Amino acid sequence: MNKKQALKGKIKKQAVWYSFLLVTIVTLIALTYIPMLTTIKYSFCDVEVLGFGGSEFIGMQNYETIVHNAAFLKSVGNTLILAVMSLISIPLGFVLATLINNVYWSKAQSFFRVGYYFPNIITGVSVVLIFQVVLKTNGGLLNSALSFLTGHEISIGWLTDSHYSRFGATILNVWSTLGYNMLINLASLQSVPREIYEAAEVDGANAFQKWVYITIPQMTSCFVFLFITSVINGLARFTDLFIIGGNTPIGRPGGTLQTILMYIYQFSFETPRYGIASAGAMILFLLTFIVTMVNLKITGFFKNK
Amino acid sequence: MRRKRKIKRIALVVILSVILAVILVPLLWCVSLSFDRRALNALPEFSLIPHEPTLFNYEVAFKTIPLIRYYLNTIFITAAHTLIAVFFSLTCGYAFAKGKFAGKKFWFIFMLAVMMIPFESRMIPLYLQYKQWGLLDTYAPLLMGAGAYVYGIFFARQNIEGIPDSLRESAYIDGAGEWKIFFSIIIPLSKPLIATLSILQILSNWNSYLWPLVVIQSQEKQLISVGVSLFNAQQNEIYYGPRMAVAVISAIPLTIMFLLLQKHIVQSIAVSGIKQ
Repeated sequence: MNKKQALKGKIKKQAVWYSFLLVTIVTLIALTYIPMLTTIKYSFCDVEVLGFGGSEFIGMQNYETIVHNAAFLKSVGNTLILAVMSLISIPLGFVLATLINNVYWSKAQSFFRVGYYFPNIITGVSVVLIFQVVLKTNGGLLNSALSFLTGHEISIGWLTDSHYSRFGATILNVWSTLGYNMLINLASLQSVPREIYEAAEVDGANAFQKWVYITIPQMTSCFVFLFITSVINGLARFTDLFIIGGNTPIGRPGGTLQTILMYIYQFSFETPRYGIASAGAMILFLLTFIVTMVNLKITGFFKNK
Repeated sequence: MRRKRKIKRIALVVILSVILAVILVPLLWCVSLSFDRRALNALPEFSLIPHEPTLFNYEVAFKTIPLIRYYLNTIFITAAHTLIAVFFSLTCGYAFAKGKFAGKKFWFIFMLAVMMIPFESRMIPLYLQYKQWGLLDTYAPLLMGAGAYVYGIFFARQNIEGIPDSLRESAYIDGAGEWKIFFSIIIPLSKPLIATLSILQILSNWNSYLWPLVVIQSQEKQLISVGVSLFNAQQNEIYYGPRMAVAVISAIPLTIMFLLLQKHIVQSIAVSGIKQ
């Protein structure tokens, strides 16, 4: 009798803990795991516009179509190039953080911290609207400034000329992510224990040696984190370039700003071919997955758990 | 020696101020354009003070698109999503931090694994699913996923683990159940955690774009980011002033929040980056 009651109590306790998790578990199954499995399924099927009933298993055909599709390959290339170009924001953020860290007045330091971070707060769409004007070919702020500095009339189509559009898109991206990279770098710099520097000073290390032998190694995990998050964000880049391009071929100059996600969007919602779009989504997923796994491996996540 | 150091610091402050000015000039210019009557049909020359000060651009902006409506929609979605997401990340975080139950490790990995599934890769089936349920063009697709804020769960678990068990034990003696302890002890002690997660949620919700673009079709239900970008797509090349007015208007709420809570926000972002 007692045993039974104890068992009942135990089950009840378990049930209480599960009640804390229930909503999240259901949400994840219904809205994450099932859709993900469905994407895998669709990527091997010939899915007609409606996507229900009429799907038929066709093996790797969608993947074959997509990897031979010039537009898709170009969008993968664009995405990777833009993701790599955007990485410049990390070293720039590190330099900024180093400078700010060396301003010892705490008031000035927090002023710069907040000031430099501010652009990161500006709503994504506003950033695009602003940079459409800043990067405008005639009379845009950047070209005006360059003309003033060089003394020549400069009219580069930062967002309209296919030779420069990737630079334009990167300028926009760096402007809005620089503050974030600065902030994370700064927080990481300030968490390096002072004693290490003091010990090095006793040994007679100069500022440059301290920077090379202490600061940089201590910052590695921070760099890895920023690198990975930046690459993952880069792989899924959509909003800013989609707004810049609108839905016109002129807006995506020479196709240089079409990303994987824009390609998927096109075959999902503009000219629906769900099988093709799902194969694209799977490739995007695999790229992200690989990057994340490398991240977890480097940060030693598997060892702790 | 000391003097030399002081000069060095002043030089640093000057350099940093100049760079900051360069970064902020585009913003200031755009604010100035939004108040400039001359910016209606052409792009006037650079100036941080409007050539012909006016509110006309704002009038045009408010007349052309239902900005107030967009605002209210976005505020509602942001608030509701944040509330749901933060609440359930705390409940899960609490269970994983303090709970003893079968399958704890499994469910934790079950949730963390989701971080590797980007939203974009399951967007198509999700869209079709909502279509089948007849929920397109409602707010359900924007809110139903809120109960699974996985990053928040991970973060909440780490923070709640630090709350001493002695507090819970004395509550047990008074006969309190887990939910009572959760509401009367864990939540009040997690205010900084709640603030951080809310800030992260508000920032990401206010900026969400792709999903609302896909699931919301009626103009009057749309959120501000999509609404503004549709307006932008209609106005080609001209109308700089009104476009900048729209940019300013849609950036204002987060800017105000940032100015009021700058220290908290900067702190939250920094912490969220380090702890991962």
